[in-house]
Amino acid sequence: MKKLKIIWDAIIPNNPVLIISIGLCSVIAVSNSVKSALLMTFVFALVQIPSNVLISAMRKIIPNELRVPIFVSVIAAFTTIAALLSRAFFNPIYQVIKLYILLVVVNCIIIGRAEAFAYKNGIFDSLLDGIGNTIGYGLVLVTIAIGRELIGKGTLAGIQIMPESYQPMLLMILPPAGFIFVGILTGAIETYLKQKGGKK
Amino acid sequence: MKNVLKFALNFGIIAAIIGLALAVVFQITDPIIKLQDERALQEGLQNVFSGNYEFVKLKDPIQSLDSSVQILDTFLVKDKNSNSIEGGVLTVAVAGSQAPIKMLVGVKKDGTISGITILSIQETAGLGANADNPSYYVDKKNKITFLGQFKGKNVEKEKLIPKEDIIAITGATITSKAISTGAKVAGESFLQYLKEAHQ
Repeated sequence: MKKLKIIWDAIIPNNPVLIISIGLCSVIAVSNSVKSALLMTFVFALVQIPSNVLISAMRKIIPNELRVPIFVSVIAAFTTIAALLSRAFFNPIYQVIKLYILLVVVNCIIIGRAEAFAYKNGIFDSLLDGIGNTIGYGLVLVTIAIGRELIGKGTLAGIQIMPESYQPMLLMILPPAGFIFVGILTGAIETYLKQKGGKK
Repeated sequence: MKNVLKFALNFGIIAAIIGLALAVVFQITDPIIKLQDERALQEGLQNVFSGNYEFVKLKDPIQSLDSSVQILDTFLVKDKNSNSIEGGVLTVAVAGSQAPIKMLVGVKKDGTISGITILSIQETAGLGANADNPSYYVDKKNKITFLGQFKGKNVEKEKLIPKEDIIAITGATITSKAISTGAKVAGESFLQYLKEAHQ
């Protein structure tokens, strides 16, 4: 139960995107299409989970003064691996969001979790924390992408959903809509947390 | 001093492990990536210059007439039967709104564009990315895509400027302009090359 709480914490009460408000760059940039959002979540998982585990496993041999360069090297290595894999197997989507995939190296969520959690906790806990943060990030990303693509293009993952006569709302494809959606979701989650806290 | 060596050793070991892991993944993915690029190129060549032709890659790409358009590769298009040069396909890179747009431009020897295919594009989804969208029509009646409208246009006789003789993509002025300029410069550079080769 305590272990499950680590995952739950990262998804709702400490959601990296909505509550801590980090890693917003990729959320805003990639969430205008569902396919891109799914690939981005896949890449994020491929970097966040193994880097958390590896850093936690090595935490006893990493000197305190050297920890940041080592975190960055580990994260950069997993990002390169994830980028190569997505280029080989998901090339059409990779070509569209290539820039943001490479920018996962400097994603604040991943380096933040390395510093704040993996460096101080055990391997299994770090694994759970990695999974939780991936779900927390991916859930927000895909939810926003579904909203933006449906309203902005009338499609979902490239499949036409809205009737032909539907006039797409261009704003939804552009970056401002990303902020609008993040705002709405943050409001929703904050309200939920407040109500839950009030019952105590 | 002791600390320096300890740190260097520590970081060195970790870097070596990471390097090894990267090398393994690269070994696995590199052939797949190369194969995909090659297939995309062959499909693109067939797409911009369809027919019974042979594509001969020039050792050095031809000179571009405009510094804003980079010519990366040049293929001469030869008729398989008569072996005469029928035109050329050029791989060009032009600055888009975010990253360079790479595309293949096919030009016939009289300066008519035979087709354009995009190899890589990172324009805004829903706006500039529509340049490569096969179901986005600039002419809805005749179902002509943005790239499709270039087919049959002559680079010498026509201006190829968006909103004049090219229908622009809604909300994507930079992308429309980049692709039009790329097509025009590629065509003109190729004609220049043909003229010089004849002399």
